[in-house]
Amino acid sequence: MNQIALDIRGLAKQFGPKVAVDNVSLQVPSGSFYGLVGPNGAGKTTMLSMATGLLRPDAGQALVNGVDIWADPQAAKATMGVLADGVRQFDRLTGRQLVTYSGLLRGMDRDDVTTRTEDLLRVMDLSDDGDKLVVDYSAGMTKKISLATAMIHSPKLLVLDEPFEAVDPVSAANIRDILNDYVKFGGTVIVSSHVMDLVQRMCTHVAVIAGGVLKAQGSVDEVRGEMTLEDRFVDLVGGRANNEGLSWLRTSSN
Amino acid sequence: MVAHILKLKLRLLANGFKRSVGQLVGVIIGGVYALGMIVMLTLAAWFTAGESAIAGEVSIIVASLVVLGWAVIPPLLTGVDLTLEPSRFVHFGIPQKVLGPALVLSGFISVPAILTIVGLIGGSLTFRYDPLTLVVGIVAAIITAVMAVLVCQYLTIMATALRAKRRFREFTFAVLFLILVCLGPIISSIAMAASSLLDLVVPIANVLAYTPLGSAAALPGAIVAGNYVQFGICLVLTVIYLAGLYWLVSRATAKATVTPPPEQQAAKQSGLGFFKYAPSTPAGAVGARALTYWFKDPRYAIGVLMVPVLPLIFWFVGNQTGNFTMMFLLGPFIGILLGFSISADISYDNTAFALHVLTGVSGRADRAGRALACLTLSIIPVLAAAILPGAISGEVWRIPGDIGMSLAALLVALGVASVASARYTYAVPLPGDNPMKTPPGNGMRVALTQLATFTTMGVLLIPVIIPYLIGWFQESQGFNYLTLGIGLVLGMGLFFGGLVLGGKWYENRAPELMQAVMLNK
Repeated sequence: MNQIALDIRGLAKQFGPKVAVDNVSLQVPSGSFYGLVGPNGAGKTTMLSMATGLLRPDAGQALVNGVDIWADPQAAKATMGVLADGVRQFDRLTGRQLVTYSGLLRGMDRDDVTTRTEDLLRVMDLSDDGDKLVVDYSAGMTKKISLATAMIHSPKLLVLDEPFEAVDPVSAANIRDILNDYVKFGGTVIVSSHVMDLVQRMCTHVAVIAGGVLKAQGSVDEVRGEMTLEDRFVDLVGGRANNEGLSWLRTSSN
Repeated sequence: MVAHILKLKLRLLANGFKRSVGQLVGVIIGGVYALGMIVMLTLAAWFTAGESAIAGEVSIIVASLVVLGWAVIPPLLTGVDLTLEPSRFVHFGIPQKVLGPALVLSGFISVPAILTIVGLIGGSLTFRYDPLTLVVGIVAAIITAVMAVLVCQYLTIMATALRAKRRFREFTFAVLFLILVCLGPIISSIAMAASSLLDLVVPIANVLAYTPLGSAAALPGAIVAGNYVQFGICLVLTVIYLAGLYWLVSRATAKATVTPPPEQQAAKQSGLGFFKYAPSTPAGAVGARALTYWFKDPRYAIGVLMVPVLPLIFWFVGNQTGNFTMMFLLGPFIGILLGFSISADISYDNTAFALHVLTGVSGRADRAGRALACLTLSIIPVLAAAILPGAISGEVWRIPGDIGMSLAALLVALGVASVASARYTYAVPLPGDNPMKTPPGNGMRVALTQLATFTTMGVLLIPVIIPYLIGWFQESQGFNYLTLGIGLVLGMGLFFGGLVLGGKWYENRAPELMQAVMLNK
């Protein structure tokens, strides 16, 4: 059993003059619930794209359960499930077809795919919508069906980019339960999020990334110290504007 | 406020060009081409000034065609630039009195609108001998352009409300498809009537002069003819039409800014569809998915639009020349067209392609699935196109050759397209977009890629073409069977070769392909 589920070694990516990710190294221990936080445009999605094989890095390596994803992509991808942010799905398929497709693409056995698809639809609360085209789903439902496509092959590592965005509180709670269970039985989860509170409650480990640079990483308690994660985050990122704010945005002034 | 919205539109136009150099080059080439046309038109107007007895009538017809073009093409076919569509201003609370004129005016800030105005003014130079008529002509040209843009805006707003419903989009697509299929016969009948067309100019123009299409353009002609009664009537009509249209556009704009987007009725499909029947392998799954898209995504049908049209065109050509030889080439042509149709497959996936990258599906399975889906759908039309002409004309001896040539064309095209689409992607209409809409400035790149692909297919087919032609001209059944044999062997070989090579390229370039489809380029 590999101790490090995702080992990112010096990943870097530059788009034209803009350095999106600057030599980031971080280790995600097996069995951890790992939060990746950072302000908008910090490079979270770029980094996760490079770690999941969607974007070729300029430099660096990413080892998924010990396998370099850029040296042996197929072996690395087989043990990983990914929810990418900002990509479409094959939305002319029904939800049931899409999850089935994702299983069959991975070369899974038909019977396994069938039972697991129904299980996933059930826990995602999509059983009644399994026959609807994904194009007609709401944003939250699309998120959930995408999550299902990432989980059907029971990966050892789940990489989830903004998994709770647009998901209703009930479904979010269900998904959290599923993920907690998954971690309890040895799985590893990486989530990126803006919601510090959620990360603090849910995650065992956290990394803070801003401006393409890794600001801190470690267990949640190590990183936040005495503060709340949110205050520590604002501290690290240095974004809190300390000027007067919007003095005119006061309804009493009218 | 009006100035702000106009500035916004200008900025959007400028930023659109900044997006990529290739696109800018494409727009410039297109612009130069259009300018060339306008210069030609202007020169023609300049030199025929005073020489043509029907200058007034011709300018009515030209203006009517322009307005009609604006009324039909953008709302129905290409889709207009809706960055400034009224419903986007729902949240701003801009007073209707300001927003209406601002949006109408912003409609003029676009390359086609400017070209239209310049072209129409150029055309009015045909009245250059008389200063008064020339002034009236220029004003009439500008009014015609305004009318064109207003009509276009009105119909677009109307169509947008309907088009938000996927059903309606697919329905209009089906209607357009039918019209396009009928286009061949329509064009050829018009061509036959061409000799008498000149006689029709005057009566048609006389009718158009009283419609919104040509009332403004009729003004200078009426002065030249000294027909002041007609001038008066047309002037009044023009004012009425213009005011009426403006009122309609403002009202539609006002309504669109307070109407929430319509509810969609969700489509259902029970069960797994093609996934149930396809083999439970990655390649089988890709094939089932591709087949589903062939039936559910109109962009695929557009790609093979020529297939039902081709026999009609060939038949009409044959009907007119009395020589039906072309019909024997249907099989190979349709084979190439259908095989080529998968060359934009990854571009059509758009970012949904991420699923293929993330699951690590092998390149060979991806290529094979897409190619086999196309082969499944194509094999019967291609065989029909290969067998029927020979069977109907009673030249049974040639059928084996036709089958060999057609199948080779289909298989080689599939092989070449499998390789090409793993390397070259281009900008295509996005999933769910109007399938007729072509992203601007894309022409050169697509044309070059397609030319290279077709040339490669042609060269690879030479070993089949030679025995096929010998068999054809010598009417030799032996050579026809030879064609069948070579065609099947070569076709299968290059088909599988294409899958293997394409699969290899695909695996090497999957992340680059992913980045390309994210930008839709």
